[in-house]
Amino acid sequence: MARGLSVRRPSTAPAWLLLGPACAVLVLLFVVPIGYVLLLSVTDPRLGLAHYQRIFTAPVYTRILVNTFVTSLIVTGLCLVLGYPVAYVITRRPGRVATLLLTIVAMSFWTGFLVRTYAWLVILGGKGPVASSYLALGLGKAPQLLFTTLSSTLGMTHILLPYMILALYAVMKKIDPNHLKAAASLGARPGAGFREVFLPLSLPGVVNGSLLVFVTCLGFFVTPVLLGTPRDMMISQLINQQIEELLAWGFASAVAVVLLAATLLVLAIYNRFAGLDRLWG
Amino acid sequence: MLAVILAVLVALFLVAPIVIVVPMSFSTAISFEFPPPGYGLGYYAKYFTSEEWLAPTLNSLVIAVGAMVLTMLLVVPASFGYVRYRFRGKAVVNLLLMSPLIVPHVVSALAYYGFLGRAKLTGTHLGVILAHGVLAVPVAFLVISATLKGFDQNLERAAMSAGAGPFRTFFHVTLPVLRPGMLVGALFAFLSSFNEAVVALFIGGREAATLPKKMYESIRLESDPVIAVVSTLLVSAVVLGVLIAVFMRGRSVHAS
Repeated sequence: MARGLSVRRPSTAPAWLLLGPACAVLVLLFVVPIGYVLLLSVTDPRLGLAHYQRIFTAPVYTRILVNTFVTSLIVTGLCLVLGYPVAYVITRRPGRVATLLLTIVAMSFWTGFLVRTYAWLVILGGKGPVASSYLALGLGKAPQLLFTTLSSTLGMTHILLPYMILALYAVMKKIDPNHLKAAASLGARPGAGFREVFLPLSLPGVVNGSLLVFVTCLGFFVTPVLLGTPRDMMISQLINQQIEELLAWGFASAVAVVLLAATLLVLAIYNRFAGLDRLWG
Repeated sequence: MLAVILAVLVALFLVAPIVIVVPMSFSTAISFEFPPPGYGLGYYAKYFTSEEWLAPTLNSLVIAVGAMVLTMLLVVPASFGYVRYRFRGKAVVNLLLMSPLIVPHVVSALAYYGFLGRAKLTGTHLGVILAHGVLAVPVAFLVISATLKGFDQNLERAAMSAGAGPFRTFFHVTLPVLRPGMLVGALFAFLSSFNEAVVALFIGGREAATLPKKMYESIRLESDPVIAVVSTLLVSAVVLGVLIAVFMRGRSVHAS
């Protein structure tokens, strides 16, 4: 640390002294375990690419891949549609409303997945408020809401929405309000000002938020298990099932590698066009 | 105006499910029933006397503190090394430090299940602490390196030219200025472990079962209403934390 303070002579030795422990631990306790999964996927129980062949050819598994992808797209779309107005209002109407909205977003962001998943079990359950309002309104017995595609989509959207809003807000708050004033003074109506000026400037936030939600959704586990149906299984559920019920290490590892590869592919596309630093910064 | 109405509706959608757990925790129903048929403190009594729930609560706290300490021990020096020096392979180091954020948690969970299982560390506190400590590195690194980038090094130069040694400068100038950022980084690391479910589910076992793992199992296997009590306590902690943050932010805005 002491050496870190002398900046005149740029030597890289102290940098490695400072970074060494973190890098060593990450290699040993992260890269190696992930590498072990990679290795298992082609060696367990015997050497070869049989697991991968099975994943991409057996209809049971291709359906799970497609379903994961489609579900993630739907959840991302829903988060975007629901999140955009919230981020917009927080940015453009500073004051009590914005503070309240931001507080609510932060609250739900920090509330654990399991608390929120449990809440949806109550809301959509057979003895929940939706079912009882059906009865109260004389509509008869409510349809089965829990353990359906609808309930797991709703749950995942609810959980990932704060991420989308915060990603949108991070970009929107940097948009100079003078741009909009300039547009207005040049005769643009509020609608046109939004469409021509604000919306295009907010697009990086749209991309960041969508990427974040989509990638998280690809690997979502807890919520689809607890709220969804086995019929629309997601990739992560398949991994868990193969390990928990069948102890099929090789196959589970291959599925995990496919999930990892899909995630990396999405991130690589983003990196190509925007640069990952922008996502984290 | 339309946007405001939409935003408020979405905010209701966000907050209503979180609020609903509060009345549920005072319910007397034996299953998930809303509105509750009657109110009482029965499930609070059950939570605070049941080993089955208190043990995972304690585990979660111990593991989150352990993971936070591990993360900070790695990330604080690493951030200094990363921000203050130019060296070859910086991009690779950055990617390495951020990799736990890139890999889906279920993949990491599987990896740890296999790897820590071989080292006989699954189902132990140490195993979960190691895994959670590593997984929290990216978020802590982001926060602390950002704080460090905003640090004006002239402060250190001034202290040194005024005769302070490097250690004195570090402990009397650098550290105090960076403290808020470090605290935020530590808090994020703590919460990242405390809220983490998937890895804990795979490697926690019985001995090191965390609260999210216990909640998952209680929903899946028995629909135990005590989960409403746990949820209410967790939500209260979050509300308190966020209100403090909003209050502090308001104060700093007024001050500046």
